[in-house]
Amino acid sequence: MSDKKASLATLTNGILKENPTLVLILGTCPTLATTQTVIGAVGMGIAALLVLLCSNVFISLLRRVIPESMRIPSYIVIIAGFVTVVKMLVQAYVPSLYESLGVYLDLITVNCIILGRAEMFASKNPVVSAALDGIGMGIGFTLALGAMATIREVFGAASFAGIAIPFLQNYKIAFLTKAPGGLLVYGLLIALVYAVTHGRAPLKKSFSCEGCVHAANCHVKSCETKGEVQ
Amino acid sequence: MEEIKTLLVILLSCVFVDNYVLCRFLGICPFLGVSKKLNQATGMGVSVTLVMLLATAVTWPIQYFVLNTLGLGYLQNIVFILVIATLVQILEMFLKRLSPALYEGLGVYLPLITTNCAVLGVTINNILDGYGFLESMVSSLGCGLGFLLAMVLFSGLRSRINERIVPAPFRGLGVTLIAASFISLAFMGFAGIVEKIFA
Amino acid sequence: MKKNIKNLLVFLSICSVIALLLAGTNFLTAPVIEKNQSAAANQALLEVMPDADGFDSVDLSAYTLPATVTEAYRETGGQGYVFKLKTAGYGSDMILMCGVHASGTVTGAVCLSSNETLGYEKTYGEGFKDKDAAGVDAVDTVAGATKTTGAYKSAVKDALNAALILGGADVDIRTEEEILADNLAAALPAGEKNFEKLFLYEDIRSFDAIYRATNGAGYVFVTGDTFVGASADGTVLTEGATNAEAVKDAVAKITATAFEEIDLSAYAELQKFVVSAKKTQSGNYVFETKGAGYGIKGGNEWHPASGEYIVVRVSMTEDGRIIDCLTVSEGETDGLGDACADEKFYGQFDGKTEDNYGEIDGIAGATMTTDGYKQAISRAFTALNTLKGVGTNE
Repeated sequence: MSDKKASLATLTNGILKENPTLVLILGTCPTLATTQTVIGAVGMGIAALLVLLCSNVFISLLRRVIPESMRIPSYIVIIAGFVTVVKMLVQAYVPSLYESLGVYLDLITVNCIILGRAEMFASKNPVVSAALDGIGMGIGFTLALGAMATIREVFGAASFAGIAIPFLQNYKIAFLTKAPGGLLVYGLLIALVYAVTHGRAPLKKSFSCEGCVHAANCHVKSCETKGEVQ
Repeated sequence: MEEIKTLLVILLSCVFVDNYVLCRFLGICPFLGVSKKLNQATGMGVSVTLVMLLATAVTWPIQYFVLNTLGLGYLQNIVFILVIATLVQILEMFLKRLSPALYEGLGVYLPLITTNCAVLGVTINNILDGYGFLESMVSSLGCGLGFLLAMVLFSGLRSRINERIVPAPFRGLGVTLIAASFISLAFMGFAGIVEKIFA
Repeated sequence: MKKNIKNLLVFLSICSVIALLLAGTNFLTAPVIEKNQSAAANQALLEVMPDADGFDSVDLSAYTLPATVTEAYRETGGQGYVFKLKTAGYGSDMILMCGVHASGTVTGAVCLSSNETLGYEKTYGEGFKDKDAAGVDAVDTVAGATKTTGAYKSAVKDALNAALILGGADVDIRTEEEILADNLAAALPAGEKNFEKLFLYEDIRSFDAIYRATNGAGYVFVTGDTFVGASADGTVLTEGATNAEAVKDAVAKITATAFEEIDLSAYAELQKFVVSAKKTQSGNYVFETKGAGYGIKGGNEWHPASGEYIVVRVSMTEDGRIIDCLTVSEGETDGLGDACADEKFYGQFDGKTEDNYGEIDGIAGATMTTDGYKQAISRAFTALNTLKGVGTNE
């Protein structure tokens, strides 16, 4: 029973309490770059989810084999490998998504969420939890991207997932689909999360050094500044 | 003359029009994280430019002379990220040995660069855009300088924000992102200028 | 040391496992990706030639095609060709795709990318479907977007010509300007291909146009399709010219032209709109007059908020017949009113008098500009009448 509960907690953790995008503030680049359309954002989210799941499972399986000193390079290779696999699959079977995501599909490799989960969770936990964590984090990432894309597409392009919304046609705020609009909506969303949770969510601890992939080889200074700023 | 014009267009486009941080959203993490003070922003910007140039100088020949000739294009991602990671390590070691002063200034930022998507992004984009070696180097230089410019501009803005009282929910990242949005808006004004200058 | 080697081995084996995984995925997906890509490439081609079975790329280096053609594809069943064209629109380049059936009709035309203001290019191509060369000529350009639609239309014509050339025919693909330049150069080789149209001060209208070599080598007289070259001293250089006497006479008149500036200080009214007035020794008048352009028309003409005057140079005989007309300067809207600087427009005034100068065809979509231009012309007549002491109708 408690096992089930713990599993559920692992799964939901990434969706709400430690939502990678809105609470941990990780993976900001794809969050801003691929949320012009709902389809692109959800596609990016699912691609990242697949990579996250595969790499978490793989790393968890090998957690006793991978030597400590070769940790980071091994993770990077594993993640880059799965990214390429996902990229090839998307290119073959969903070519339109491949076109719209472009180079950002490749850049899942350097998405901090994935390396971060590998380092913080998968390398220390058994396969099932690692898989659940990957799925939870992936869903959390997808939902956050989807929410942001919904705002940008509905108000910016008067459509949802490519389907035009008739009564909004004359009230498009085209700015929202452009680069500055992405930054603005992200800023507002983060402020909203802060307001709703009364500032409890973005705790310094959650996304300072602990959540940062560079923590291992970082010389503290810059990292501390980063935490302090937020 | 024509070639110089092309290179200049690439350079200026990368710095202003297609600014990696403000228009393409690559390298946002360091942009938000390390832009609080001017000297940090400059250090990070210079390091990124340096690594971008080095990484392109190494990955471009690898892509065209190794991966393409062997038909191993699908290893691009893994090879590039490993090259970048190795380069960063080597650069760090060299700096430590040769110029401790410079290492003091730049060294702390180097480990952060390994997983900076702007660096991997620029190397992959150069291949995707079909640039030749010289064009790739110029584009990397432009992207690096664009990153530096964005960092320096933004650090100036942030020092002002930090002196102001901001409504609680916007404190920290919220207001930072919104300020970044305005800088990005300003950069949109460059669209179309570069081509016209040389037209 | 031993541990390091072991670590490295572990790392390398992880690398090889991943590499194998990638090779496997690549093996599975590569054929699918390739099929997708060729299907996507054919998609755009199929849009302009829906009945096609497939396409082969044509090597353009073997042919001399119109400059707008950037890519060409041959339909595998011999149904015809599809061309990718690049032409300059109003704002920037337009990329078009045009299919031409072997029978010489357009199977379809679409605009792949453009940056035009009004967006006519998005649907304009539909009008060319199933048209032959004559039918394409008959498609009207859109008033108010003549630059966009005109470029589109001539690109479609280029595609038709390109199809004929690929089919083995010999087609003149020179533009009107190039044909003119070639003819001029042939008539007067000493002119080194640099010619300018001569503004006429004397009534030598037996020719359609007269060109002067900018290096002073001589003149070329155009009547219909005949080009007659003459040196600066009036020697006819083209053999067998039937109008040698007229040419000689004309050169003499051109070289003898001398001006006398007319002092306008006594005519306060005229000074408002006459920039300069001259009289030739043969008694013709040359005026430069101002007419209110589009920007000025909206406001108070003498105190305009914005806009520029259209300045026109008119030469006329003493009895009030226009010899030649030229737009000196204008600040009209690009792509609309600026057509008043085109010879096709101002050439219409040649030979007109005060009674019938208003009968010319106006510029489509630029009535204000046309009116302003006519105003400038009418003021030249006013100036002529005033100077001759006849009443004015201004």
